[in-house]
Amino acid sequence: MNNESTVAVAIDAGELPLGGGLLALVRPALQLLEPGGVLAINSGHDGLQDDLSVWCKVQQHEYLGHEPAPNVVDPPHVSIRHLIRRGHLSVPQGDRETGMRLEARNGKLRADAVLAAVPMPETADPRSGFAPRGAQVEPGGPRYPFDLLESRHVAPPEVAKLFDQAVESQWDGNRDIPWHNLPGHAPDLERAIGQVFTFLAENELSALYVPSRFVSRIHPAYAEVAMFLSTQMADEARHMDVFLKRARSGGAGLGVSSVTTSQSLLSLLELTDFTEATFLLSVLGEGTFIDLLRFIEDHAPDDVTAEIVRRAGNDEARHVHFGLVHVRHALANDPGLYQRLENAVRRRAAAMAASSGVPEPLQDGLTVLAAGSTQPRAIARGHDDFRQLLEVMHTNRMKRLEHAGFSPAQAKTLSELHTPNFM
Amino acid sequence: MPSDTSILLGAVAYDPKVVSIWEGIRDYFNDAGAPFDFVLFSNYERQVQALLAGHIDIAWNTPLAHVKVQQHTQRKSLSLGMRDSDRDFHSRLIVRSDSGIKSPVDLSGKTLAVGTADSTQARILPLHFLKECGVDLKAVRMLTFETDAGKHGDTGSSELEVLDALRRGDADAGTIGDLIWVLEQAAGHIDTSLLKSVWTSPPFDHCMFDAMPDLDAQKIARFKSALFAMTWENPEHRRLLELEGLRQWMPPREEGYDSLRAAVADQGYPL
Repeated sequence: MNNESTVAVAIDAGELPLGGGLLALVRPALQLLEPGGVLAINSGHDGLQDDLSVWCKVQQHEYLGHEPAPNVVDPPHVSIRHLIRRGHLSVPQGDRETGMRLEARNGKLRADAVLAAVPMPETADPRSGFAPRGAQVEPGGPRYPFDLLESRHVAPPEVAKLFDQAVESQWDGNRDIPWHNLPGHAPDLERAIGQVFTFLAENELSALYVPSRFVSRIHPAYAEVAMFLSTQMADEARHMDVFLKRARSGGAGLGVSSVTTSQSLLSLLELTDFTEATFLLSVLGEGTFIDLLRFIEDHAPDDVTAEIVRRAGNDEARHVHFGLVHVRHALANDPGLYQRLENAVRRRAAAMAASSGVPEPLQDGLTVLAAGSTQPRAIARGHDDFRQLLEVMHTNRMKRLEHAGFSPAQAKTLSELHTPNFM
Repeated sequence: MPSDTSILLGAVAYDPKVVSIWEGIRDYFNDAGAPFDFVLFSNYERQVQALLAGHIDIAWNTPLAHVKVQQHTQRKSLSLGMRDSDRDFHSRLIVRSDSGIKSPVDLSGKTLAVGTADSTQARILPLHFLKECGVDLKAVRMLTFETDAGKHGDTGSSELEVLDALRRGDADAGTIGDLIWVLEQAAGHIDTSLLKSVWTSPPFDHCMFDAMPDLDAQKIARFKSALFAMTWENPEHRRLLELEGLRQWMPPREEGYDSLRAAVADQGYPL
């Protein structure tokens, strides 16, 4: 046996038997070799050749034989040198991330830094499954049903930064809301609050479900998108929880769920195109919700109510930001998308054509909330405020649409076609 | 429905996965231009009878069933192929570290756990080879595990029983195939301070596709062509190869069964 010149890697295995830890040295050492490369194992374990040759056969490596070890290593022991030629099967594809050293900045190691070090591919292979981006992938794996496989349709470059922000901004709906400070309100006002928060909770639950339908379709090469959406879903879960708690903390309990809301949310849930769904949910729907939450904060009769919608509004702003960068990224790479998004808005408007406007229980709830009481003069003021809210929503929606890349005329049309349910 | 031109293969249902294996291979063969169907038997004796009677075209046989078919056809039966993993099997003598057994001759007066009577690797051949080594088997107390008789040791269950008996201390030594021994070690199931292998038998071969001498030449050609076209690097093939425990199909060779022929003759094993 004369393979001295071809030995690429050598390991000292002491007296480890095959089933006693030897493979934990042998397998990684073989990973360092190209197919055909030779591994030398110096072993003091009697009869290892019988086990090693069977293991090589099972793994399709070639057991070349054994001979007395040329050098006795430290500590000195009787040693046999076994030689294995690495087989051609199951060789992982791609380069190993040797030398990868992520560095913290200001004491923090952000997802953004990971994305910069390991960029997302333009297209992804469904056979790499859940393998983390950058891992070497053993060939021959099954095809996964991921169908969002192109960076341009899935992954805006800002997504890792938004994930970092989202993680830093998580709050605790049990601890961070001053629940103990909730004062009593007149029953009419409290009923209005119960109605408004019923509406908010229903819509936020849909905003949890809609992204969930896309997460399992996103190729893990774009994991940051799924990670961001998971923070969005966690945000919505928290919002729903605190909204329902607020409705049930003042004596009124929940209000009415309208058919208009139900129709509007179903039309979101049924979307199958990720970019269309992000556009309708996050840019148009959650964008409009930011104005709604700010309106409630401005008119909140107590600190608890104000704090809930203030915190929820901050989260929603992040979701809108993701929606905008996603849509802008997709539009930059696909000019035909403008028309598709416009068509999606028009289709949804057609489906909602029978609806006569903002759900009535919500209109009334917001009016009484803004009025602060059911005193007629106050109601007149509240009604004006509500009408102004609709104007503000329209104006801001147009701004967001223009920010996303639509022309002012397109923005005006699309904003006017937006669902009367806001979400 | 299979036509007269389709190859009908018999296999023994030693495990539920056998259905997945042969349904996958059936689909693969049909797509590869070799019309194919299969039937499952509960034991190898029934399968060999069916082959000899011409009820099936090809039998996927254990070494014992292979030798049996050859015996009944005066060695005129056709051997069509085997797995890479079927070549150069060995039996092992595994002992408890505290048994004092360093080699086969130390077995005298000890308890030896062995697998099912029809297991080539855990019973028939190790006893044959140990006897050849000079072990007086009459002086050894046998602890036998008769699990899955008729499956010819395919399930490996009696070999796992042998290992368990050793762990419990019910036996000082035991005989199993080297594949189970190495796979159990690689899976981390063996306490190597408690159990060790002290003897390896000479090599022998395992399963074989057997056919009767008068099998239609076109069927043989189509079967071999589709079989040897399977590759590990093709994910669809690999799934089937992994299930069947091989990486590559190999041409047949007969010398790997000589020791088994000698063993069954010497032991008077009924074929």
